[in-house]
Amino acid sequence: MPKHAGLPPGTLVLLILRVLRPGALHGYAIAQRIRQLSSDQLSVEEGSLYPALQRLLANGWVRAEWTTSETGREVRSYRLTAKGLKQLDAEQDDYQRTAAAITAILESA
Amino acid sequence: MSTWLRRVWHLINRRRFERELAREMQAHRAMMNDPSAFGDTHRLIEQSRDAWGWNWLDESVQDLLVGVRMLVKAPAFAVTATLIVSFGIGLNLTLYQMLQAALFSPPAIRAPETFARFHRHEPHSSSTGVAYPVARFVADNAAVLSAVVVQAGSNVAWGADASEQVEGSFVSANWFDELGYGALYGRVSSDALDARDGVPGVVVGYRFWQSRLGSDPTIVGTTAYLDRKPVTIVGIAPRAFPGLDFDVPDVFIPIAEREYFYPQSALLREWNSDSVDMYGRLRSGVSKAAAREALRGVMQTIAREHPEVAAGQWLEPLMATDNFMRANERRQMMTIVSLIAALTGLVLTVAASNLGNLVLSRATGRVRELGVRMALGARRSRIVRQLVVESIPIVALGAACSVVFALAAARSIASLVALPPYLDFSLGWRLVAAAGALASLTLLVVGIVPAWQVAQQQLIEAIKDGGQHVSRALDRAVIRRVLVGAQVAGSCLLLVVASMMTRSLQRVLKTDLGFDYERAAVLSMPLARHGMTPDEARAYWYAVKDRVLGHPEVQGAAIVTAPPLGGRVFETGFNDLPGVKVITQAADPDYFSVMRIPLLAGRVFAPFEQGALVVSRRLALDMYGTLDVIGQPFPKSAGRARNRASDVASLRKTEGTIVGVAADAHSIKVTATDVAELYQALTPPDFSLVYLVAGARTDAYRLPPILREAGSIDPRVIPIAHAMREDFDRRTRGPKLASLISSAIGALTLALACLGIFGVVSYGATLRAKEIGIRIALGAPRLSLLRVAVRQVLAPGAVGLVVGLLAAFAAARALSAEPFYLQSVDPSAFLAALALFAAAGTIAATWPALATLRANPLEALRRE
Repeated sequence: MPKHAGLPPGTLVLLILRVLRPGALHGYAIAQRIRQLSSDQLSVEEGSLYPALQRLLANGWVRAEWTTSETGREVRSYRLTAKGLKQLDAEQDDYQRTAAAITAILESA
Repeated sequence: MSTWLRRVWHLINRRRFERELAREMQAHRAMMNDPSAFGDTHRLIEQSRDAWGWNWLDESVQDLLVGVRMLVKAPAFAVTATLIVSFGIGLNLTLYQMLQAALFSPPAIRAPETFARFHRHEPHSSSTGVAYPVARFVADNAAVLSAVVVQAGSNVAWGADASEQVEGSFVSANWFDELGYGALYGRVSSDALDARDGVPGVVVGYRFWQSRLGSDPTIVGTTAYLDRKPVTIVGIAPRAFPGLDFDVPDVFIPIAEREYFYPQSALLREWNSDSVDMYGRLRSGVSKAAAREALRGVMQTIAREHPEVAAGQWLEPLMATDNFMRANERRQMMTIVSLIAALTGLVLTVAASNLGNLVLSRATGRVRELGVRMALGARRSRIVRQLVVESIPIVALGAACSVVFALAAARSIASLVALPPYLDFSLGWRLVAAAGALASLTLLVVGIVPAWQVAQQQLIEAIKDGGQHVSRALDRAVIRRVLVGAQVAGSCLLLVVASMMTRSLQRVLKTDLGFDYERAAVLSMPLARHGMTPDEARAYWYAVKDRVLGHPEVQGAAIVTAPPLGGRVFETGFNDLPGVKVITQAADPDYFSVMRIPLLAGRVFAPFEQGALVVSRRLALDMYGTLDVIGQPFPKSAGRARNRASDVASLRKTEGTIVGVAADAHSIKVTATDVAELYQALTPPDFSLVYLVAGARTDAYRLPPILREAGSIDPRVIPIAHAMREDFDRRTRGPKLASLISSAIGALTLALACLGIFGVVSYGATLRAKEIGIRIALGAPRLSLLRVAVRQVLAPGAVGLVVGLLAAFAAARALSAEPFYLQSVDPSAFLAALALFAAAGTIAATWPALATLRANPLEALRRE
């Protein structure tokens, strides 16, 4: 198990939106993908994943539909909407700007 | 889809969405290596619900259910509260419902926006009537009108023996077509009414058909008799068919057939008369002003071709969408309506303040519970919301009951005063919307104000001392006193108004009206329709009068232009006499003795003596400042006289020398306080429309058959006679009902205010039971303790009383004019209301206080 399992606050929505960009994923797959891509450094708790997904649905950033997974299971996949894509770009920009600023402070003398 | 719509959609389909979410989570768990790491599905679903932002709704529903449960647990409070709210809102809704049906909505006719009534105007006078040939000429020559519709109301005798008088309406054949109505049975269309095969076809009105013809549809096609002439009933008008003047004719007769009934009648041929009510439909795109100007040209043509028609006349259009009212009439009506609405609004204020106080008292019993909630982290706003939502069921229940109340009340009033059957008092969205609006206002006082007050207290502290401190703080709160003061002021004002209404009714019913209607009867004979000239009519009338006088039952008889309690009104205003209208009557000299109106000075004019006038006491005093006016010229100064007549053919200014002073006798406008009478001798033209009044030796109800018999010298004439008492009863029905309703309202608001005072004192006394117990045990005099107990309501009660009385002065002034005629400041009404209020208020305040004082002090001490 990784040492730092939690996510930095405020980044969950950004990460979900980001992993959905290549294509639709179901809830379990979203959690898996975030863990994978972060090389097991970040993990999403189910307790915060589903409320976050509902918030994305409520804002119209993703759409959900029932599909059958490769393993033949019925799963609900989430797909990014055009509005969600715009939101992702905005949040990504914000995050990068903030991260760069924090880095600049940390690297200062 | 906008975010909002999505949220609403989610709310509507919430169960389905949550089922799906649960299924989705289950699938997720199944895929996990360690399903136990997933967590509690229920908790997650609850958290997910937060994302949609409907939590407040869930909480409110819970609060609402708590409110309902509390009501169920306290049925006595629930019933009282519901009654208070439904009375307060219901009264306002009743008023709204009646106004909506009768005044706010245009008559229910086809395209009312293009339909107008036309009044005939001359530079210095106006008339509601138009001559029939003029209306016909306009119909044929005015391009701005697509149709002209006329109506002339008149009494006709029903039945082969002409035994019953009914209300007839002579209408143009297009009457039903233009108003947009078909028949309930049979036909009412133009061709039905145009039938000219000897016997005219008539349409009977719905109410008449129901009450007199037994709702029998087979009556269509049968023969009936109108003024002894056979007619065929061709149709029955539907119930909803509106009368344009709030009239409900019993039978509609084609006006073109008028000469079939009265061969000598000049109505269809006379160019200078007020014979018909004229309506018209403006062509599309024609404005009211354009119609007026176009018709002015047509009227000029008529005046050129017919010298008897005065030049300079015009027809003033009054639109159906304005209920055929002039702008100033609408203003006047709105003033009256707002006055009544202010009074009923006051009732709601009293009711809401009362209930607000009650709710506040109940909330103080719960300060501990609220304190615990706050200690557990609830915010003040959450507490306010909880308390407000909890009072929604009371208000909602009350509002629902108030709608039922209003429907029932409007219908009872409609049947009591015999309102036209076409007025629609059924439940409509407008009424429900009005109920909702008033309920929201009520909630403000009943829910929000007490809740806010409670939430401002140190609720957490209340956990420690069992809420005693907070309860006392609430008990002493300013808002409580304001609520008591508002109740006292409102109910005091309403009591004064009710008491004034009752007094004014008593003035009419009990005191001497100045003329003797109990032993008199009236005879009317429509002679003009038989082609009699005024001179012939005069001869006929005097022949009839001789026959009447010959009967032993008759004590006296006189001919007059306006019989008491009925007839046309001819009012004149004089510059010398601001605020008083002079009602002029022309009469036989015997009139004074027949009606038993005493002569105070001088003499009565001789028959047909011109220029000799008798003035009433009030007219003499108001215009000349003395009763010593014999020989004075009238009017005092040759100022401008303003005439207002409803249906007088020609307006003439009364001038002459005063020969006598008669006692006041408000014989025409019984309830009016702003009229004075002027009498003069009859002139020959008066005989086109006069009446005969007769006095009985023993019983006025014996007179009508005698009068009818005497009037039947000419077999064509069908005389109409009735005892004056009937007119009186009809005239006083409205004031009686108004007085009854206002007294009931006054009594109920008084009861409410007393209940409010009782509640506050009783609650305060309970809170202080321990203190009072100690003081009694220590030997304090009971009187001083009583003062402590009622002190709380004394100041707000006194302030409320003063405010209420002052407001009553203003209300009395506003209600002193038409149509209420309350005596401007009636001291006895004020005193009566004050005494009643003081007595009831004292009982309400001292009763609970005394009850506490009488209780065993040790009992109170033993309590926690």
